[in-house]
This record gives sequence, C-alpha cells and structure tokens, in this order.
Amino acid sequence: MALGLTLIFSILDIINFAHGEFYMLGGYVTYYAFAVFGVNYFLTLGLAVLVVGGAGVLAERVVFRHLRGKTLNAFIVSLGLLWVLQASAQLSFGVLDKSVPSAVSGIVRVFGLVISRERLVVIVTACALITALYLFLKFARTGQAMRAVAQDPDAAALQGINIEAVSALGFGVGCALAGAAGALLAPVFAVSPTMGALPVVKAFIIIIVGGMGSLPGAVLGGLLLGAVEGIGTLFMTSAAVNMLGFLVVIAILLVRPRGLLGVA
Amino acid sequence: MTPRPSLAILIVLAVALAVVGAGPAPAAEKTLAIGLLGPLSGGAASYGVELQRGAEMRADEINKAGGLKIGGDVYKIKLVAYDHKAQAADAATATNKLVFQDKVKYIIGNAVGATCNAAQTITEPNKVMFSFVCWGTANLAPEKPYSFRSMLSQWELAEPFYRWVKENHPRVKRVAVISPNDTSGKDTNTAVVKALKALAFEVTADEYYERGTKDFYPVLTKLLAQKPDMIDVAAAPAGEAGLILKQAMELGFKGAKGWTAGTNPFTIIGVAGREAAEGVWSPANINVKSEHVNSAVRKFGEAYEKRYGEVPGVIAVANFAAFDVFTQAMQRAGSVETDRVLEVLTKERFETVWGPLVIGGKETYGIDRQFLYPLVISEVREGKIVDLTQVLPAALKKK
Repeated sequence: MALGLTLIFSILDIINFAHGEFYMLGGYVTYYAFAVFGVNYFLTLGLAVLVVGGAGVLAERVVFRHLRGKTLNAFIVSLGLLWVLQASAQLSFGVLDKSVPSAVSGIVRVFGLVISRERLVVIVTACALITALYLFLKFARTGQAMRAVAQDPDAAALQGINIEAVSALGFGVGCALAGAAGALLAPVFAVSPTMGALPVVKAFIIIIVGGMGSLPGAVLGGLLLGAVEGIGTLFMTSAAVNMLGFLVVIAILLVRPRGLLGVA
Repeated sequence: MTPRPSLAILIVLAVALAVVGAGPAPAAEKTLAIGLLGPLSGGAASYGVELQRGAEMRADEINKAGGLKIGGDVYKIKLVAYDHKAQAADAATATNKLVFQDKVKYIIGNAVGATCNAAQTITEPNKVMFSFVCWGTANLAPEKPYSFRSMLSQWELAEPFYRWVKENHPRVKRVAVISPNDTSGKDTNTAVVKALKALAFEVTADEYYERGTKDFYPVLTKLLAQKPDMIDVAAAPAGEAGLILKQAMELGFKGAKGWTAGTNPFTIIGVAGREAAEGVWSPANINVKSEHVNSAVRKFGEAYEKRYGEVPGVIAVANFAAFDVFTQAMQRAGSVETDRVLEVLTKERFETVWGPLVIGGKETYGIDRQFLYPLVISEVREGKIVDLTQVLPAALKKK
C-alpha cells in the first residue's frame, strides 16, 4: 500500500489521501468474488488488481489529470474523494464488517515462531509484488518512462514520452497495489467501508520515514515501523505504541528532513 | 368605505362554528422528534445498527397505529439518528445538533461509554431524557437524573458470569482480559477484574488496544506469553472481538473464551469464523429464539428477522423496550415535558418485552436508573447460540 502511495507521489506529485479507499475496494472485490461467488482466491487477487487499477486510471483521467501541478488542490480533492468513496461503500455494501474466509488455513512453526499460513501467503505475495514492481520500473520500457516522468516531466516529454498516458498508468499501478493489499488482507482481517482509514495513516508514516517518492525507502520504512510497533507493544501500552510511530517520524525528519532514502 | 359582510354570510359562519364546537375537539396531529445516537459506522457499527433498528420498529408500530396520543394531541414519531463513529468528540457534536437544531427532548439510544459522557454534558443541563446501552460506570450518577441505561452493564453481568465459570469450569483459573482503550473498555475491565479477584481467579493480563486495530498479533503475543486458561474479549465490539479470537487461535490458543459484552454472538461468528468462535461464552446476549425468553421477546425477534434478515441481539431488544417505556410514560404523564415524564417513569410500573420493568442500581450508581432483567449465559456451538442457564443479577434479586 505504501509502495502505491509513494509511486503516485513520485510520478504525479499528488498526496493521495483516498489511497485507503482503493485498498478498501480491493477488499470488497475479494469479498464478493471469493466469499460470495466462490471464485478461486488467486484469480480473485488478479481481479482485484485489475478492478482497482482500472478505478485508479479512471480517477486520474476524470479528477487528478486536471490538477497536475496544483499539489494543494489535488490534496484537497483527494480528501473529498476519500469521503465520497467511503460514503458510497457504506450505502452500497452496508456498515457492518464482512468476513472473508481463509484461502489457506493452519499455522507454521519455525524455531518457536508461530505464523498463520494466511499471513505467510501475504508476506510471500507482497515480496513478489515488490520484486515485480522493481523489475518493471528498472527494465520495462513503460517503467523506465515512469521513472523519467518522475525525475523530470518536461525532459521526458521532450523525449517523446506521452506524459498523460504514463501519469494515468502510474496512478493505476499505484492504486492496483493498494487493491492487491486489500485483497491479500481481506481474509486476514475483515472488510468494512472504513478499513482503509488506519492503514493509510501508517502508509504515510512509512513513506515519510523512508523518503517521499522512494520505493526502497517505502520498503525500509515499512520494516522499521513494523519492528517499532511490534517490539514496542511488548513493553508499552497500545496508545504509547501509536505515539511511538509518530515520534520516530519526528526524530527522523529532524535529523534527515528528506527521509531515510529520499532525494533532495 | 369598509365593505360590510352580508347577514347571510354571518349566519352561515355562526352555524358552521356552532356545529364544529358542538362535538369534541379533534386531536391536533403533531410530530415528536426523538433522537438517536450511535456508532453507525466503524468497528462498533453493529451496536448502532441494532439501536437504530430497535427504535425504528417501535416508532413504526406507534405510527402505524395512528400515532402517540398524549393529552389532547396525537404525535407522529420522527426518528432523528446521527452517527458518532464511537468517538466522543463526534458524539458531542451530534448531541448539540439533536438538542439545539432538531430540538429533541428525548434521545433514546446510544452506545460506547465515552460517547455517553460527552452527550451527557449537553443532555443533563438541558433536561433532555437520555436512554442508552453504554457501559461507562459514570454514565449513571445522582447528578445525572435524566439518564437511564436500558441494558445490563458489566457491573450487573461480570460477577454472576464468573461465578458460573468457577462453578462449571473449575479448570479455568487464569484469565486474561482485553478491551478497547477508552471509557467503556476501562470500566468493563475494572468490573471484570474486580469480579475475577473476588472469586479468587488469577488475572494474567488487564490489556487494552486502540479502537480500529485490525492486527492483534503484537498484543496477543504479549498476552498469550502469560499462558491464560481463558481470554475475555470483555468490551470489544463484534468486529474487533472476532479478530482477537481468530488471531489468538492462529497463535495457538486453545483455552476457554469469554465475551462479557457479547451482545450478539451471531456477529462474532461472522467475523471470527465458526472455528475461532466455537465455545465463546457470553452473559450479555439475549437469544430471541430461546426458551429462556418470553413470548414478547420471541415475537419481536421474529418481526426483526423478517424485516432486516438478521437475528437481533440484546441491544435491539433493549432499545425497543426503552422506546416503549419512554413513550408509555409520556402518555401517562399526558405531556412530553421531561420533568413530568421523569416523575411518572420513576414512580409507576411498566410492562415491557422483558416483562414488568424493574429499575434499580442505587447500590452501584447512587441512583435507580438501571433497567434490570434476568441474564442468560450462552455458548457458541457449531455456529449456533446455545443458552446454558438463566441467572438473576444481584441487584434484581434484591428487588
């Protein structure tokens, strides 16, 4: 989810507060396809990526394209989109949590460490997605075009890159990653219209710590926040642990204002 | 020159007035706005939805029967509901809107203790009658005479529940308690821990989490390291209680499970899944299909399930009963003025779906404002709710 958020920021310079709602959309695609209609879970995962990615492209073409270069306007519009999508989900799907059955059940024990197979699938798939995104951006022609637009849109346009198409694709890929996260975590947690509220806050902490626009930074920030929260819970109250995440952000920004791996 | 009405017109008017004045004056139809607060979205939405549906069912019954006859007037009930998402600040805003914008004098329905405290800062000074299912200990107090709790709270439930656990499951000796980190959670854990210690259980954890949490692995790792025989997801709402039990099972927990605030165990099965919810004991629920409830509750349950396609939990029944009692009291008082209704409510006897209404709680809260009724301890078995026994709260025994 944080990867998608930072990808969108790097290419379009948009702080997308509605990113959690694309995550929620991925959860509902999984609920209806897998839990209600019995589609294979891994096919559902692909379906969620396509549907949410498509919704992202649509959002870019209808809304965000017209706000390119107006960071503050785009920020406010993304807040509005958050409320519109959340209210639409409440009206369409109801307000109660919906449970998605586990695609894989059971637990795995490794040197005394207990983890559910369900979470193992999430970890492995997340690693595969990160690797695929890295390879796409590094070697694929379209991925290289995205990086070029992220570095200098004007220079990229002079090289013949279609900025509008690349921006739409970048927004779509970013949202598709959120959709994949929603689909992966739907069986682990439950699905609800507000399920994206907390993850998007954590995703922002992660990309600020890692460096806005840096994909390796997002991965590093995620690992750091996870470690801080996981270990912190053993010694502190839940309220203190939540505060700890923000303290880490403040401390890192004071020492390194552009984040751990961010560039000036 | 001012035109003069003709004599014929004056005679016709006089006759018409005489005819109208000869019979009894027809009751003027008015609208009575009644407020409702609740978490209608978010992790505690199941509470708010049941509150709203319980109130809707009684309001619709009244309106279909022609309205509420109070004194010489007939009132159509208009329900005005606001979502506070279980947040105290949102509850204060919503209560301000109800009291000063919608001009309600009755708020029948609210859940989550912290939101009740916030709402009461507005309802009490403005003499607005307020009925809720919140579990905050301070929600009932002598300085809050306009407030009533329509559902049993942790203070009525915890002691008889754990007495039953001790007598029927002696292998349970070490109990871990976990609740949301707010007024409801703290008050519930306080009552549960007090009951556990009084009954000589060992409390291995008195733990809290932030509302909205989805990943309980970190807190459960700490909690399970103490090797409890039983986990009580005390004041956790269904969405979060279900996740705690599911993730505890994933981490290898195989002990007993309790849900002191388990107002509708059907909802926890939906979130946790049948396997993780299996064996959960709950003292707060009312199984509307059980032989332990009277025919009025069963009839309410059938109507609710037909209308909403779900089985109601105790919150829906409690708010239906509260709506019924408050409107009955308005009729007997012959007024919608809250002081007159309050006087009737505290002095007269009322019939409800629970049977004869008993209001008590003075020993715990310093004032009789707690609705009392027998509690039923139930267990989840193979995806169904099985009632195990009926117990009287100590306060009801004394009545």
